[in-house]
Amino acid sequence: MDIKDFIAPFAVWKRAFEKPFTVKKPIDQRPGAPRYRGFHKNDVDKCVGCGTCEAICMNKAIDLVPVAGREAKAGDSGLRPKIDYGRCCWCALCVDICPSGSLSMSNEYLWIDRDPEAFRYVPGVDKKPWDSATLGYSRAEGYRLLEGKRVDMAELPHAEALKSFLELVRGYSREQAEKEADRCVSCGICVASCPAHMDIPGYIKAVRDGNLETGLRLLYETNPFPDACGRVCTHLCEEACSIGSDGDPVAIRWLKRYIADQVELSNYGQILPRAEPSTGKKVAVIGAGPGGLSAAYYLGLLGYKVTVFEKDEAAGGMLRYGIPEYRLPHPALDKDIGYIESLGVEIKRGVAVGSSLSLASLRRDFDAVYISTGLPVAYSLEIPGDKHPRVLDGVAVLAAATRGEALGLGAKVAVIGGGNVAMDAARTALRNGASVDILYRRREEDMPADPQEIAEAKAEGARLIEKAIPIEVKDAKEGGALFVWNEARMVQKEEGKRPVPEAIPGAIKEERYDSIIAAIGQGPELSFVTEEDGIAIKRFKPQVSREGKTSAGNVFAGGDLVNDRKDAISAIADGHRAAQAIDRLLGGKGV
Amino acid sequence: MEYPTFAESLDLAIDRERAAVAFYDELLHLASFAAQKSTLAEFRAMEEGHVTKLTSMKAGGKLKLSAKTVVDLGLAQSLSPSEPSAAAMTYQDILVSAIKKEERSAALYRDLAATALDTDIRETFALLAMEEGRHKRYFEELYDSEVARDN
Repeated sequence: MDIKDFIAPFAVWKRAFEKPFTVKKPIDQRPGAPRYRGFHKNDVDKCVGCGTCEAICMNKAIDLVPVAGREAKAGDSGLRPKIDYGRCCWCALCVDICPSGSLSMSNEYLWIDRDPEAFRYVPGVDKKPWDSATLGYSRAEGYRLLEGKRVDMAELPHAEALKSFLELVRGYSREQAEKEADRCVSCGICVASCPAHMDIPGYIKAVRDGNLETGLRLLYETNPFPDACGRVCTHLCEEACSIGSDGDPVAIRWLKRYIADQVELSNYGQILPRAEPSTGKKVAVIGAGPGGLSAAYYLGLLGYKVTVFEKDEAAGGMLRYGIPEYRLPHPALDKDIGYIESLGVEIKRGVAVGSSLSLASLRRDFDAVYISTGLPVAYSLEIPGDKHPRVLDGVAVLAAATRGEALGLGAKVAVIGGGNVAMDAARTALRNGASVDILYRRREEDMPADPQEIAEAKAEGARLIEKAIPIEVKDAKEGGALFVWNEARMVQKEEGKRPVPEAIPGAIKEERYDSIIAAIGQGPELSFVTEEDGIAIKRFKPQVSREGKTSAGNVFAGGDLVNDRKDAISAIADGHRAAQAIDRLLGGKGV
Repeated sequence: MEYPTFAESLDLAIDRERAAVAFYDELLHLASFAAQKSTLAEFRAMEEGHVTKLTSMKAGGKLKLSAKTVVDLGLAQSLSPSEPSAAAMTYQDILVSAIKKEERSAALYRDLAATALDTDIRETFALLAMEEGRHKRYFEELYDSEVARDN
């Protein structure tokens, strides 16, 4: 050993009285580079709380936490990221991947605080000096770690589409589906917005993994109409999709359809759960639409003997009689219904409750009854002349088209209304060779129809006449009917309420049409429910609990008849909930 | 009734409300199923409430009604006078009847207000017209949101 090794420890003592080289603060507070990755910022109004930042952070430095004054809503979890700078490595992956683009970093790198807790904060909520800093790191313009554009879906060209009722949308190939599924970040923010709360990230992952059997199982956990919903669902999930906050939302509906299309019905039995042993109890379902058959499916699985009473000659309700085949081909619907029947669910077609069969007798002969009869009554225009023979109702026109009957609409057709029935009626008329005007009381942006449906109707040649208040229908000299309307302007009459159409004095228009299809709304048909049945009804709507129970002991109701959404997926969700409640009522666990 | 007194004005209004109760009674008699009956019974109860309210105001000698004019949605004018086909009445039929009935009452009170010579009586009829306008508006909103959803 060298002598210096003994002396060195004593030698350093002479440094103890020298000026230190370290200082409490840096000598120069030099600004960070313009794109230096400093402390986080978050535009909390833009952020949707999807948690993608949390998922990608390898250091577990991010937690999604509730913040005061921000509630969960469709497309927003209400949570916001909290950063722990004891863990953060400033890699900025969270910023790069943020679907909404709300997360960024200031170029601030100095932050001195004796309290270690201070280094855990919620950017944008816990105010910091750098909140309004313009420099720092953000995702470069045009750069995205995530793919913002959805995989295109092949569709029939409009000119071709008008020649037949062939399905417009062709469906994804395996390669396309997997590529589209790859865009999903599995944040799950869509699940809450789906009325049936389908496991959307789960089945999209199944597509990504090429595991369609798992995908199908996940679909059927909450929805026994994947083929139909994969085509015509109102896809609230896509409106909520976090990828859609700064790009195209993931094509969730098409991915659902992809799974259902790829698996043969003959294989469903091996993949999906079979019915439990019989409970020995019977349930009657009134209406074989998506809601009624959803209840029937889940009750069948739970071991109940289910009989469905359907007034029409075929099952499917509005999915069959209200949606044309170019949107939902019957084989796809039949596949969904076929599997439900394969579980032992009996559908008595062409049997209307109320004529030879009363609700009271069903209550007597079955342990429980589920009513899901929808809204089959078309409301009339309620203007002078609305009983003119050339005024037709939209629901009846669509049903006649489904039955393959000659529609005899003529060469020039007016469709009155702005909902999906109006759009489907218009497009059906176009496919029957008519020129079509769609007249709506308000503006296009107020129309309740799916915007895609409106766009397609227009692309196929329908002319949209907005702000047209129906006034009268008269006989036309040349034959057909004269439709008279008053042009309107939109007036904001009350603050906080939507503008209302106000007739412009003297601005009366009229046009001759061969047919005028009224599609302003539909109502229920409840003539089969008598006072003696003891079901509380308010304004033509049976009053039900959240699980669909009416005031009459063993009678439940759901679907368009009682819910406000009035779409297939909500009816399916109602049917599922009611099935579980009926099971609990009859002694089961309701799961 | 050229120069009606306050009490006579209220009597007229009460009689109209009673007529409305009778109107719903008649429809209730013709109704054939539970949904019709419950809706008609609800609307009848509203009219009965109006009778009670006006009767108590008459007794008190003062009309306590809001002077706030309700915004007219303009829906009633475009609806044709409805004659519900009794047993098959739909929700739409019932609502249209209710709207038209309230519209007629409001129009009558407006006319009476316009021809009244006495300021107080004019004020009374004007307030009654506004009240009927509010009732009409209530039914119009129901019609707009629950019947003509797609229009």
